[in-house]
Amino acid sequence: MAGEIDIIELVKRFGDVAAVDGIDLHMPSGEFFSMLGPSGCGKTTTLRMIAGFEQPTEGRILLDGDDMQFTPPHKRNVNTVFQSYALFPHLSVSDNVAFGLRRQKTPKNELRTRVAEALELVQLTGFEKRKPAQMSGGQQQRVALARALVLKPAVLLLDEPLGALDAKLRKQLQVELKALQQQVGITFVYVTHDQEEALTMSDRIAVMSNGKVEQVGPPQEVYEEPKTTFVADFLGVSNLMDAEAQGRDGEGHSRIKVGDFELAAAQGDVDARGATRITIRPERLRLEDQNTDGRNRVPGMVERPVYLGNSVQVIVRLANGDRVQALVQNDGSEVSYKQGDPVKVYMPVEALRVLTDTGTAPVDEDAIAPHRAAAAPAATG
Amino acid sequence: MTTATAAAAKPEFTLWQRLSGWVMNPWGRPRFLPLITWLYMAWSIIPVLIAIQFSFNDSRSRTVWAGFSTRWYWGDPNDSVWHNTQLRDALYQSLKLAAADVVVAVPLGVLLALGLARWRGHGSGPSNFLMLFPLVTPEIVMGVSLFLVFTHIFTFIHPSTTAQILGHITFSVSFVVVIVRGRLFSIGRQYEEAAADLGATPAQALRLVLFPLLVPAIVASAAITFAISIDDFVISQYLSCGASCTTVPIFIYSSTRAAPLPNTNAIASIMVVFTLVAVGLGYLFYRIFTRGESREGGMTGEMAGFEL
Repeated sequence: MAGEIDIIELVKRFGDVAAVDGIDLHMPSGEFFSMLGPSGCGKTTTLRMIAGFEQPTEGRILLDGDDMQFTPPHKRNVNTVFQSYALFPHLSVSDNVAFGLRRQKTPKNELRTRVAEALELVQLTGFEKRKPAQMSGGQQQRVALARALVLKPAVLLLDEPLGALDAKLRKQLQVELKALQQQVGITFVYVTHDQEEALTMSDRIAVMSNGKVEQVGPPQEVYEEPKTTFVADFLGVSNLMDAEAQGRDGEGHSRIKVGDFELAAAQGDVDARGATRITIRPERLRLEDQNTDGRNRVPGMVERPVYLGNSVQVIVRLANGDRVQALVQNDGSEVSYKQGDPVKVYMPVEALRVLTDTGTAPVDEDAIAPHRAAAAPAATG
Repeated sequence: MTTATAAAAKPEFTLWQRLSGWVMNPWGRPRFLPLITWLYMAWSIIPVLIAIQFSFNDSRSRTVWAGFSTRWYWGDPNDSVWHNTQLRDALYQSLKLAAADVVVAVPLGVLLALGLARWRGHGSGPSNFLMLFPLVTPEIVMGVSLFLVFTHIFTFIHPSTTAQILGHITFSVSFVVVIVRGRLFSIGRQYEEAAADLGATPAQALRLVLFPLLVPAIVASAAITFAISIDDFVISQYLSCGASCTTVPIFIYSSTRAAPLPNTNAIASIMVVFTLVAVGLGYLFYRIFTRGESREGGMTGEMAGFEL
């Protein structure tokens, strides 16, 4: 199947610094795969190694089973959309889009048809004679897309392509890019530091930090079931609290002690004992009247409500000193929170998660399985 | 409303206050800045203008104005630029050196700049630094060392036109490298990477993408090389072989010892025109080729962009 990428134990060092410190990833054909992480986590370096602009220090990259180690970038069947678009300023839009086709010596008629098709795909018909400098950021980005897609690559690499655009345009293009990927059907490898972007568009996300992959999975899994503190904290608000875990109880939940309060947690490392951290998403926290009783309820005081329009972010200081953030939808109910209001914070058992970071990077099982089976390196390329 | 309040509402400014306020101009650009600029320009340009004026003098004097005449350009049958073989040969020699300099130093410098800018290995630091040497070495040191080289080491090339050309090329290459390298750094590697990504071999990327973007820098460095070469005195003088190697600056220098005539002013004016035309053409080409890109500050802004 075309457009399948395997990254095996990839390492890239610049001098003493390891920008990429041993990662294993598998991107099946036709998937919208995102690499998400803060600046310096190694995602762009990995992308550049897939494209061929950097040579790996160790490890291998396979495209459809072929080792890419000795293939220069102009011979790889992958194309890149750069962060700065890199449109050739001295060429018109149609010459930019036709550039790759001309290198392949495509006959004139076919060239003209394909360029027209590509421009139509990105809704830029009629812009053929313009120069890049005469176009807006969003239009330039679409030209960069057309230029890459017209070559029908097996994989399209996108390096934070929406970074330079304003918020509204970014949201619009996110939707368009996702629709485009599903329409064209090729593998997209998307690099971003914007977690909302990654959650919206991806089939699977690899969250990276310090050159290592922290977790790989579909957006829902990465958001709702974070495996490490970093992942929990990077995607949205994590409400991390220090806690003491006391092992599994009769119902299969973890017994947690936060300060003086006993809670039960159903998610994460339920069998843990000792010092751990627990996390819960703000939209799962329930704020109840201070006289409510029951399991997993901790008394607290409202520190500050933040009005967001469609919801209210309520910062609550718990009785044990921890500060948590709850997200309350504006559904028309009469309850409003003021500074100093006493509340009971209810953390549902099934929403509370125990995190024990052991320090080793979790493994992408999809990546490891195929080349554990084939123990010897592939004799291709 | 007493008269006292009315009087206090309209304060009196002294002449000094009004004058210094006008000069300081707090709501715009301080007016003394353009004043200083104009004074400096007058100081530098007025002597040149006077020299050009006296090239049209109707007598043999270079200091006493006797009326307008073009005798020193083509009128006088013995001493005008058109008729005097010495002057004409000096002009040809200067132009010959400048043309040869541009034709050899610019391609050489461009290739050198490309190599240096893309070099990621161990020798890159020292090589980049060495490139600056001809720029910072005093000209007379360059002149003397080149003279020694051609009289003691490469004695098969004794001081001659060839030696002069080689000497000019030696220091011109540095100018070209500095200008082109600055432009290469500001372009960055993104366009070559994009070209490679789209299937262009390194040679194709260079030809189709990098060179069109470098043309402004190449043309600008050609114009500057021409202007510097025409202007050069020290190196041409040291590598001169005598009468047949005389350039215009050498001629002007030696003529001030003898009885100077306004024909030196005439030939100097011609040189000024040539230099202005060369720089002007260079600037024109630059504007035509960078029409898409904009930079602040007009021409000085773009010159500053060369990151000399």
